[in-house]
Amino acid sequence: MPLFQCENLTYYYPDREKPALKGIDLSIEEGEFLLITGGSGSGKSSLARALAGLIPDFYGGRFGGKVYFQGRDMGQMDRRKLAREVGIVFQDPEKQLVMTSVEAEIAFGLENLGLPQAEMSRRVAEVLSFLDLAEVRQEFTAHLSGGQKQKLALAAVLAMQPRALVLDEPTSQLDPVAAEEFFNLIKRLNEEMGLTIILIEQRLERCFHLADRVVLIEDGQVKYEGTAEQLARWAVAREIPFIPPVARFFVRLGFPSVPVTVKEGRRLLRSNFNYRKFPPLRPVVNENPGEPVLTMSRVWFTYPNGKEALQDISLQIAGGELVAILGNNGAGKSTLLKTMAGLLKPGRGRVQVMGRDLSNECRPGDGRIAYLSQNPNDYLFQDTVEEELLFTLKNFGLTDDGVVDELLEKLGLQRYRRVNPRDLSSGERQRVALASILVTRPRLLVLDEPTRGMDYRLKDELGGMLTGLSREGVSVVLVTHDVEFAAAYATRVLLLFAGRIVADGPKHQVLGQSVFYSTQIGKMCRGYVDGVLTLQDALDRLEPVWPARQAVPEVR
Amino acid sequence: MFDQFFYQDKGLFLQSLHPAAALTYLGILFVLALVFTNPLYLLGLLLVVVLAISAARGLAVWEIYLRLSLGLLLPVIIVNALLTHAGKTIIWLGPRLPVFGRLTVSLEAICYGAAMSVRLLAIISIFCLYNLMVHPDKVLSLLARFASRSALVLSLATRLFPTMVRQMANIQEVQMVRGVDFHAGTLKERLPRYAALMNILLLSSLEDSLEIAEAMQARAFGSGRRSCYRRDTWRPRDSLCLGGALLALATAVYGQAKGFSTFIFYPQLDYLIKGPMTIIILIIIILSLSVPMVLSWGWQRCPYFNAKI
Repeated sequence: MPLFQCENLTYYYPDREKPALKGIDLSIEEGEFLLITGGSGSGKSSLARALAGLIPDFYGGRFGGKVYFQGRDMGQMDRRKLAREVGIVFQDPEKQLVMTSVEAEIAFGLENLGLPQAEMSRRVAEVLSFLDLAEVRQEFTAHLSGGQKQKLALAAVLAMQPRALVLDEPTSQLDPVAAEEFFNLIKRLNEEMGLTIILIEQRLERCFHLADRVVLIEDGQVKYEGTAEQLARWAVAREIPFIPPVARFFVRLGFPSVPVTVKEGRRLLRSNFNYRKFPPLRPVVNENPGEPVLTMSRVWFTYPNGKEALQDISLQIAGGELVAILGNNGAGKSTLLKTMAGLLKPGRGRVQVMGRDLSNECRPGDGRIAYLSQNPNDYLFQDTVEEELLFTLKNFGLTDDGVVDELLEKLGLQRYRRVNPRDLSSGERQRVALASILVTRPRLLVLDEPTRGMDYRLKDELGGMLTGLSREGVSVVLVTHDVEFAAAYATRVLLLFAGRIVADGPKHQVLGQSVFYSTQIGKMCRGYVDGVLTLQDALDRLEPVWPARQAVPEVR
Repeated sequence: MFDQFFYQDKGLFLQSLHPAAALTYLGILFVLALVFTNPLYLLGLLLVVVLAISAARGLAVWEIYLRLSLGLLLPVIIVNALLTHAGKTIIWLGPRLPVFGRLTVSLEAICYGAAMSVRLLAIISIFCLYNLMVHPDKVLSLLARFASRSALVLSLATRLFPTMVRQMANIQEVQMVRGVDFHAGTLKERLPRYAALMNILLLSSLEDSLEIAEAMQARAFGSGRRSCYRRDTWRPRDSLCLGGALLALATAVYGQAKGFSTFIFYPQLDYLIKGPMTIIILIIIILSLSVPMVLSWGWQRCPYFNAKI
């Protein structure tokens, strides 16, 4: 008997005409690692909530079909019993922690189950040890890092000893290192404890290989289900982007077997391509970059607690450059961005934008600098999308010379012109926030983690938009953890470490030489074809030399 | 930036007390601050609280409280001196004002204002001490046994406050880059700009609260009767501190009944020391309330003592 069984599951959120889930039939076996993927708004999070019993119980709305847990209709199950069987971890750790301290947070669910004190103590101790949180057990949750908070959210659910764990994009708010650590934990839970894992994810490079089965959801329906390899073949044939670049590369070359990890990819390369010395890629360097839009000279910034977040930063950014800043958490990326935007004043050194010295001005921005923070909700409070744009114009004493129409059109927001921005999806909200700052026609656009929580399509759209702006002469600087995005769209990459720039140059030069800050394709090709970063790079270099013969089967 | 105003675990003796003992101690300090009128007793109480703050390594934070309080206390003394006409020892005769009549400053009014300022400072310092020595979760778990839902609301509010402060700063930055100048114009012009900030914060908080509620439901909140996880250990130190606090309270009640800890300001100042018993009672109260600080001192310096309490 399957652990979960969905039969013709259909669901409409309250006051919605379009169903979020449409006739879903799906069964999940005990101990299985199921990956559910799909675009933003495809219905995968709704499916996760239905499997956790939150739909329709928490959301209301219209519900059709059945969801069975071990043969029992979930709609009829006692909520306490259900919470003991199925646990769910959500995207944002900030929005699922309730208590002030680590230990109390883990105990919260156990208290809700009404467990005796001795049982709670044992479970809390076990989970703290297993997840290596014992050191911080007395710590305030507010003082934990993002990765620790998400680990705590997982610990709080695991303490309830569920048989199935639903994870709704649990790493979307984490940096790559914390995300990797989180996935390793999930893998252990599945392999060592036999826990059934249902992982909802849209960034697949790190988790595709973990899954026993992958389900692709589109428009509220199951479009495909099969092994990772089967899905890769199916998706590439249909130009569906939800597979990792390594798999896409081999499917595009027509390989009989499809690797999903760098290790497997390298093995296939080794056995099928003779080592060839390719001439190194000559990075495209603009010999005459023109007048710098931003100049930073010997900039230092120290926080009141004494931490030197920026140390002796000197750089110039010319018009039309698209610069990606990479680095670990705490490297000073966001501080650098805020200093560029004039939000932070350097302790020493100078920041000039178009010749205007920001270091001594008390008021940031005059419309020539635009800053997009991590959270688009920080921008939205007007009644309509149009008013959001007009608000910025009014603040700078500008009139609408047609720029509002132009931007709404360019960012695909024309049909939402009179809609309240808070009623839009997260991707659309970000576009409104972007429009609200582009309305002054800035010369410098700085963005903090703009791809957080975005699917492949939205990222492509954003990348296209930023490339378009840089072609129009706008200097774009973005901080990101997403190396794949930086490799695809940036022209120049800065690597920051402990407040200092440790690498600065064209993307092929910086990312091509880096072992850790490299793309999945870059890691796979390292040593065979150096300087390759993107799928297109790899196809351009390797497709011509791919012998039109049967591939050598993978040696295992 | 606001971290120092919240509880920080420093592994101190005072932080290791059982929440019931700590709250009783702080409660008695608070009651005594409200009851005492004798300036000597109020000063003695303030001394005890400052010693406790020092034992909780919070003098740096207290300095900030002190500076903020002085801004409040000086006007209290001045306004009270100018507007109270009950004192007999007039030391300054001012002009006649409509409604208020003739302005006079009496010695009694100045002394009364000063004594009330000491009381207010003692009360503010007690709150400072509370933040330094009591983990909010401990109090909440104590409260949860009687009023679980209220405790949870308090816990959520405590947890979300730093997040909201951070969020507020982010929103302000975003608005500044969108051309909003929070410093320009009159107060009337600036207020709507801050109102817009609050509006965004409120909208985002409302959206976030739904997600928190969902996460709580997923963890079986509201599915039936809850149990309570936290059981704080009652140690000999708690009995000693509680004993000291209760002895201080009993002595203060006696002193109050006999009039040693009271003081009459109007129409003329009473005797500050009404006999040796005034001093003896005060010393007993100060020593009894100093038990936690003495234990803290011994706890840090003597491993044997440490193991016994």
